[in-house]
Amino acid sequence: MKEFNIIIEICGSAGEGTISAGEILSRFMSGQGFEIMSFDSYPAEIRGFGKCVAHTRISTNRIYSPGKLADVLIALNDKHSISQLSALKENGLLIYDSQPPRPHKEDKSVVGWAKPGMISYGIPLNMLAHKAAGNARGMNMVALGAVAALLHVDQHGFTDSIKVRYGKKKQIVIDSNVNSFLEGYNWTEKNIKKIDPHSFKGMTPSKQKEKLIINGNQLVAQAALVANLSFYAGYPITPATKIMEILSRELPKHGGVLLQTEDEISAIGAVIGAGFGGKRAMTATSGPGFALMTEFTGLSVMAEVPAVIIDSQRAGPSTGMPTKTEQSDFNSAVSGGTGDCPRIVLAPTDTKSCYEATILALYLAEKYQTLVVVLLDFFLSNSIRNINIPEKPSSKYLDANIAPDKNDLKDYQRYKITKNGVSPRAIPGTPGGMFFSTGLEHDVYGRPNYSEAGHLEMTQKRFAKFNTVLSEAPAPEISAIDRDEFDIGIISWGSSAGAAHETVMSAQKEGINASSFSSMMVSPFPEKALIEFADKCKKILIPELNFSGQFASFATQILKRPVERLNFITGRPMASEDILQKMRDM
Amino acid sequence: METIRSAYLDEKLEIVKNIDFLKYRSADLPTWCPGCGYFGIVDAFYKACRELDLKHENMVTVSGIGCSGRTPIFINSYGFHTLHGRSIPVASGLKLAREDLTVFAVAGDGDALGIGGGHLPHVARKNINITFLLFDNSIYGLTKGQSSSTTPYEMKTNSHPAGNPDTPLNPIKLALSYGASFVARGYAGDPQGLKQIIKEATLHQGFSFIQILTPCVTFDKENKTWKNLKEKVYDLNLRKEEKNMETAMRMAENEPYGVGIFFQDRQRPHYQEILRNLNKTD
Repeated sequence: MKEFNIIIEICGSAGEGTISAGEILSRFMSGQGFEIMSFDSYPAEIRGFGKCVAHTRISTNRIYSPGKLADVLIALNDKHSISQLSALKENGLLIYDSQPPRPHKEDKSVVGWAKPGMISYGIPLNMLAHKAAGNARGMNMVALGAVAALLHVDQHGFTDSIKVRYGKKKQIVIDSNVNSFLEGYNWTEKNIKKIDPHSFKGMTPSKQKEKLIINGNQLVAQAALVANLSFYAGYPITPATKIMEILSRELPKHGGVLLQTEDEISAIGAVIGAGFGGKRAMTATSGPGFALMTEFTGLSVMAEVPAVIIDSQRAGPSTGMPTKTEQSDFNSAVSGGTGDCPRIVLAPTDTKSCYEATILALYLAEKYQTLVVVLLDFFLSNSIRNINIPEKPSSKYLDANIAPDKNDLKDYQRYKITKNGVSPRAIPGTPGGMFFSTGLEHDVYGRPNYSEAGHLEMTQKRFAKFNTVLSEAPAPEISAIDRDEFDIGIISWGSSAGAAHETVMSAQKEGINASSFSSMMVSPFPEKALIEFADKCKKILIPELNFSGQFASFATQILKRPVERLNFITGRPMASEDILQKMRDM
Repeated sequence: METIRSAYLDEKLEIVKNIDFLKYRSADLPTWCPGCGYFGIVDAFYKACRELDLKHENMVTVSGIGCSGRTPIFINSYGFHTLHGRSIPVASGLKLAREDLTVFAVAGDGDALGIGGGHLPHVARKNINITFLLFDNSIYGLTKGQSSSTTPYEMKTNSHPAGNPDTPLNPIKLALSYGASFVARGYAGDPQGLKQIIKEATLHQGFSFIQILTPCVTFDKENKTWKNLKEKVYDLNLRKEEKNMETAMRMAENEPYGVGIFFQDRQRPHYQEILRNLNKTD
């Protein structure tokens, strides 16, 4: 079957139904058997007519990244769409309102800004919406109808999707949305002479297994539930709030407790309290909240109490840009805080691995009695994919505490020195297992101890966990692993990994022999595997979404050789087009 | 001589062994200064535990940082010495995850009302079922004599040698207005009375707040000294019908040295009960 790949963007003002139109489009396409990835960008303000963009990639093949430039731009709002034209391909398709209401004389139509190679179709979106439902609210549906007609999409299937989307609403709402869609569809079919090549005709892929349409935040919550989470404490913060909202509904059904705390310090404190009680507990936050939690991260490591923090990164220091994506908490997650403080950090590389990382995090925290940070970002938290329904974890991942046996309890040493740094952990309620834990340096019983030898021994114990933790990490993802030599090796992490893997394929077409490497576990890092990979590469490129190259600096220390860096702080996800451009220049 | 001495010790040891509340004491010797009020507090605590017949393995004492932070070391149970000001969040999470445990949180005045002051309103209004002991000596002891949130106005301290410029907080008034369902004041020099309050607080289903007046013999020579406290502390002797919010607030304002239970609301459900009721699926 022919390869088919299209990116459709809908641009409007907050409140115009931009995001819901994108959602309906991706749900419908997923139902048709396509791979989809959608990512919305919206302002941090709830009201105020800010710019919203629903970006959807639809493909017959596996999608690795959202893609940078759109094939189709649907302009619901002229003002915002003018600035969005720069994200439309040179030969892209512009669908605009040909008869918009003009409250101000100086308002101009977006079509005046279209570049010569672009194809523009004017549809009276506003007028048709009024015709269908008596108001402008259905404009988004009119636009979807127009697109469906232009791209030869099955109108009946599409209207079914709309009915499903508004299924719980009043009949009048369903009807006016469907009517608006049909109005746009019929008008376009009758009045527009199609001159572009884009068409879904004959592109319907074979139906696959039932897919889950889901984003990273939803998967984190789902994973936590299947991995026996019993306590969650959190404080609302974009882009992590949704995790708390889902668990607030679901956790009590599983016998768990959700606590909304007064701040993030209290949230991680409560998580550590529950962990001390032997229960699986976690919290989710973003940069500013993670900064507060840093106070407690050291206690988790020092007192060896399991704790899981999901940090969904947003852009910039301080409050930064709450609804923009960035990968700039790497340093803070891996080495933030005081003292020599080893912790496990996992950075899922795509939507599905958010699920795997959460299960792994809860398991590793419990087994190694330490802190695990999972680094998501705004993009992973919010971008929507259709994926196969994820498998339940095996029993190994559900109960991992190493409890003291009878012998241990004769003279119970909570912090007994062992080869892998893990000491049997008594849970309160265990007779004879009573112990005292502290954030102070301590002896094997947990009693404060500041001796030179004691501090060294305990520090070594905490670091010793790293040796075995690495063996539990999923193997690094390496593309074209069978070849021995590469002109360029791309080393990436987190959400940039998808774009990196995609670039390797497009580079191949241009004759650039490249490979890519990424590891979900970034602390401890699989250094040996990284060095082995780098030894095969003439040049190394490290693309990431931060200004200073935090991961590149980290990797350079391991590789001890110069690397090329590629850094973006646009607030948008990594694009393979940009990596490829850089590779051409290298 | 040897034998006499040994017999004497054996006899005394036998007596000590039979004081069964000492089972709640750990083998570790307290690091507090001789004469510290905290000895009186833990003495009352051990006795309350004994009279309630608490199982050692089902008790957890959570502390913050400061002289009071060491308390869990001296209790024969599970203990967790956490961070400055944070005993309340940790104890809350522990209790909510493990309803079967009896959870105590302890903190000093700087710990609970200064750095950790943000947590008190919320544990109180949520009515999380833990017992909170505020060791209030009105001074930072472990850092050697700086003003705390309850140091009297104009008192000379190491951080304010010219006199404390800050108006002190009134812990009982705070606890009452935050919505604590059990509010009491005890005195380290009256272990019997304090024991009774700790017992009532532990039995109370909900957040119990106990302010404990106690001297810092090393860094406070003028305010809460043993001499002053002995003279000023008295039993409020509130009758049952007087334990309402209005009387409690008035007492809190006017009676800084009155000890006893100021307020108790037995009807209000604790946090887990509230959650269970709200999440009930019919």
